[in-house]
Parts: sequence; C-alpha cells; structure tokens
Amino acid sequence: MIFAKELGDTLRGALDGDRRVVLLGEDIADPYGGAFKVTRGLSTAFPQRVRTTPISEGAIAGISAGLALAGYRPIAEVMFGDFLTLMFDQVVNHITKYQAMYAGQATCPVIVRAATGGHRGYGPTHSQSLEKHFLGVPHLRVVAASLYHDPRVVFADFLGRDEPVLYVEHKLLYPQHLTLPVHGMVGDLIATSDCSPGMLPTIRLSAVPAAECAVSVLAYGYPALLAAKVVERLAMQEEIFAELVVPAQIAPMDWAPVLSSAAATGSVVTVEEGADGWSWGSEAASVLSRRLFGKLRRPVDVVASAPTVIPSSKTKEAAVLVGGAQIEAAIRRAC
Amino acid sequence: MNPVLVPTNDVNSEHGILVMWFAEDGAEVAKDELLAEVETSKAVLEVVAPVAGVLLHAAAKGTEVSLTEPIAQLFATPAERDAYAAARAAAPAAAPDGPRATAKAVRRAVELGVDLASLRLDRLITVKDVEAAVAVPAPAADLPAPLPGAPGRQRILIVGAALGATQVLDILAGSTTQQAVAIVDDDASRWGDLVHGVPVVGGAALISELFTAGAFDAAIIAIGRSPAVRARFRELCASAGVPLANAIDPTARIATDVRLGQGNIICAFCHVATGVRMGDNNFFSAYNSFDHHSVIGSDNASGPSVYTSGRVTIGSRIRFGTGIVIEPDVTVGDDAAIASGAVLVTSVPPEHAVKTKIVTTTVVPLRR
Repeated sequence: MIFAKELGDTLRGALDGDRRVVLLGEDIADPYGGAFKVTRGLSTAFPQRVRTTPISEGAIAGISAGLALAGYRPIAEVMFGDFLTLMFDQVVNHITKYQAMYAGQATCPVIVRAATGGHRGYGPTHSQSLEKHFLGVPHLRVVAASLYHDPRVVFADFLGRDEPVLYVEHKLLYPQHLTLPVHGMVGDLIATSDCSPGMLPTIRLSAVPAAECAVSVLAYGYPALLAAKVVERLAMQEEIFAELVVPAQIAPMDWAPVLSSAAATGSVVTVEEGADGWSWGSEAASVLSRRLFGKLRRPVDVVASAPTVIPSSKTKEAAVLVGGAQIEAAIRRAC
Repeated sequence: MNPVLVPTNDVNSEHGILVMWFAEDGAEVAKDELLAEVETSKAVLEVVAPVAGVLLHAAAKGTEVSLTEPIAQLFATPAERDAYAAARAAAPAAAPDGPRATAKAVRRAVELGVDLASLRLDRLITVKDVEAAVAVPAPAADLPAPLPGAPGRQRILIVGAALGATQVLDILAGSTTQQAVAIVDDDASRWGDLVHGVPVVGGAALISELFTAGAFDAAIIAIGRSPAVRARFRELCASAGVPLANAIDPTARIATDVRLGQGNIICAFCHVATGVRMGDNNFFSAYNSFDHHSVIGSDNASGPSVYTSGRVTIGSRIRFGTGIVIEPDVTVGDDAAIASGAVLVTSVPPEHAVKTKIVTTTVVPLRR
C-alpha cells in the first residue's frame, strides 16, 4: 500500500480503537477525502468524529486545543504545512504550555499533521518545509513521516502519551510504498533500529556494517529517501560506503544513535529540505561538535535548500530545493 | 505489439488499483474500446485501447499497478499474442538469491578469475572480499614446528604474536625455569614468522592439538590491550585443559604472603606487596604497584605506572590506562575502564568508565 493509504489505515485504526480520537481539517470529509486523500473513507465510517472545518488554521488549532483540554484526542490536518504559521501562536503560547503551567493537572495532547515539502511545482507558499521554526519549542515533539517507520507504531506512541506533537508528512511520500526493515534489510541495505528509552526508533541503513562506512548521513522525511538511493548507488557502483541515519522524531532528538554512527565513521553530513541556516542540521552540527570534539575528521556538512522563495517552475524549483545531486556531492566531500 | 498505458497527468500518484477489466484476456478489441478502470489517489481513470488488437493482460483485477508501466499489451494476431505470452512464461525469473556484489567487486572478480558465487558471503561482496578469496593461505605442511625446548624447563606456548609477545619473550629470556617454544596467532599473515627466535606455528585453533601432542606444557596469553580477548582465550585454554603459566620479570618484587593465580604477566619493576591476592590471566605492564592486602580479579590489563594503595579491590576484565593512582579501600568493579591519569578516590561500579580531565596536551586532527 502507498504511504497515504497506510496513514489513512492508521487513522482508521486510531478512530476505531479510541473513542476520544477526533479528526479535523479542511476538506477532509468524503467524497473529497483531503487534498492528498489520506482521510478518504473515514468521514463515512465515523461521521461524528471526522469533521471538515472552515478554511482557518487558527480555528483548527483553537478547536483542537479545546478538545484536547476536555479529554479528546484531536488529530488536526493542515492541508499545506506552509499554513502552520497561522497556528504558531496557539502552539507556542497555549498548546505546549498547559501541561507544565498546571503541573500536569491539565494536558493538551493535540496531534497536528501537516503536508509539507516541494518538488511538485506548487510554488512559493505551498511547497515549504517550515518545521525548523517549530524545532526547540519547549514541550513540543516534532516527528517526521518516513518510509522506514510504520505510522501505526508512531501514532500508537502519540496517542499513548499526553504531549502535543507536530507530524510533518512530505507530500512526495504519499504515493510511495512503505519500506520497513524486513529481516534486518531494507532492499539491499542493512537496516538496524536504535531507540533510547521514551524515544521513537532511529533507522540506520548501510550497504556494509557501520564500522566500514566512511561517512554518516543524517536525514529525515523525503530527503532520507533521496539519500538512501544515493547511498545505495555509491556503494554498489564505487564502494563509497555511507551509513544513513533516519530518525522519526526530529525534536527533541535521540542523539545516541547519531553519536554512535558518527563515532564509527568520523564524518557527518546532514540533509533537510528546509531553507539553509538556523536549521535542524545546524543544531546537529552544534551538538556533534560538542559531543565528539576532536573525534570527527572534518566539520559537519549541512545540506539544505537555498534560503529563498521556492519557484513554481519545476526546473527553477529543482535548483532551489535539495536533491540527490547535492546529497551525492556532500557525501563525496565527506569521505 | 503495443503497450497499454494508464493515461494520467496526476502528479500525486505513482500507483493505482486496477479496479476492473472490461475486456477479457485474449479478447480482440477495437481502437478506443474501454479496457479497464484504474483508481488513483485522485480519480478513477478509464483506460482505452490505443489501437485495435488482441489483448494480453499484464496485471490482475484488484492488484496495484504502476502508472508508468503498461497494464497490458496489444498484438496484431492471436498467434503473436500467444507466442509472446509463452516466451514470457518460459523466461527464467531473475535469480534474486545470486551473490550481491558491488560493481567494482564484479570487475575485480573478472580480472582475478574469482567466481563470486563461490564466496558464499551472506552480505554485500566488496573488492576486499574478492582479493581475500585469491590470497592463498600457506599450506599447513609449510608451517614451522614448535621448538623442542631445553630439558627441565617448562615449555611455554604464547598466544598472540604482536608486541605483547615480545614483552613476554623478554621476561622469559632471562628465565632458567621457563622457555617459549611456539606462538599462535589468528592473523595468518604472521604464520611462519620468527619472533625473537620463536616460530609462529599457526592459529589459536592449534592450541588443543599441540597440547595433546605434548608440544608444550603451559600457555601464556600475550595480549595486552583487551581484557575481553584475554578472557576469551583463557576460556579457550580452560576448555582444552591447557594450564596457564605466570611470566614474572626478575626485577619485579613479589612480597611474602602473596597468592598468585596462573597466567599472570607481571612486567619489569612491578611491586606486589604482602597479603595481595591475585586471580588469573592478568597483564600488568611495567612499574605497576599493588600495595598490601589488595585483592585483584582476573583478565585485567594495565598500562605502565598503575599504583594502588593498600586494601584496594580490583575486579575482573578491567582496562587500566597509564599512570593511575588508587586510594585505600577503593573498589573497582568488573568490566570497568579507567582512563590514563585518573586518581581514584571513590569506588567505580561495574561496567563504568572513569574519564579524566587532567589533560595537559590537546590533540586535534591535522588540517587538510
């Protein structure tokens, strides 16, 4: 099944298994079933608990916060992650603050799902990966969809805890098939899963064991898929061996698997589709330089998109957003 | 033959479900006749025949199909269709269980005449693997035999041919009671070498065989760095019934009322004070001092200049760096690791590392 259907199936399971779960979002009800068809069929099966809202992300955030405070488990869909900015105040000043302000007597476990990312020719305001602005917001978990993590496991974790979560779903993942590790392999790559207590698993992929790899590549979401293809091709064609490290949760980070990989390879490249500077990769570079000072052969290389507007023209867009070519060049530099 | 493609410019989907075939497999269809319906994430698409012909399905009803691959083929005649279908059925399936190798490894295997299938590796084959397969191990017949040994001396087999072996050989050089007669090492490239006149006779697998043949009396494990490896070889010797011997440098001072186990290597100028109890198979470098009534476990390894006060307890499989001082009554737990320069004023639990901040030099990688 493609990721969009796996995710829809996950949400169906959540609605089925927990009467507190409520889905909200623009145009998520049938027959349209959401812009990316993730919720198709769900409003027919659960008409009371799957509701289309007016076009107001502010309202979606506010209604979700109220529902969560009242004991429901709202899962809000943001049709385009670009409009997460309209939720920013309620996320930063309200939703993430209640639990700590009221010493746990109030909880606000809102789950926000947002379709992010470009490469679709959707232009400057429907193609961005704005999650970096949410990284480091106290008491907010930011989790990225990936083809290496079962969304059922991820949502079971969300619904089992009382913390608010932002789940970013890169649009290009929707039509792809999940590629979960099977017998320790993903395709031709060796796959291992590392997980510190209380964290979601980090998947590590490489053609040969980590100790034989020359560089660690840290990536999440769709760029992780691009990186996996580069890692596999460089290994098979040129015996340039890199280990790809794919966390599900990107803030707060489970650094243990990253440190373990980086210590083994001595060189790190980070990849993200968001705009360059003040980013996930720069935080990773900062942490790794502190934790592994003197143990890396070279500075951490941060690969990110050009810090400018994303063009609608597909050729111009490709020149701005991170693609396989930039990842490959960075891996070659880092070996 | 004409392929039947799903007509779509839906950029959000790469796959769809083949909901229904309206034309049977093998049917003769006209141009623009409705053949099938495919459902994508956006829409249900009708697939029509691009030309007239005889239909060969490439996907079954209800299965997921790629939107970039043909879902069927159209042929001019039924005979052509049947021939194609038969040929496709007869084509051998690509062998997914063949050896996986990098492109470089495949080229190298051709150069060296190595059959990749013969490597039987359950992982990605690299150039290194191909080259290793070519390297012919020295035939067993060419390996040297252990030295005969002088009468009246304990004949020693040394495990490990690296620098630890030279330290043990140096200790035994002045001995009138012990003589090294052979060395074993799992690194086949060392086989046949002489280390200070003592031959490397083969791998550790030989230990049991040589002992049964009466080639030596006791073994000493001359591996200085890794307590885990020391422990592994001690267990190997124990399971083969091979006793371990101590190697004590003549300059070491062993006091009265000391009980030593077996297999301990005690290098030059060490001091083992009165009342000390020491287990088996420790490797203590030069200038180690264990003061009175300290208790020491087994399989430890130390660098030079590790000093304990009295009544210190040291567990097993501990790795000590260089220049370590331990206060009285301190206990160091099993499997701990103690960094150079540490001054232990409190006990260390098992499986803990002691890090030091007494760094007077800073080592950084070279600029490139």
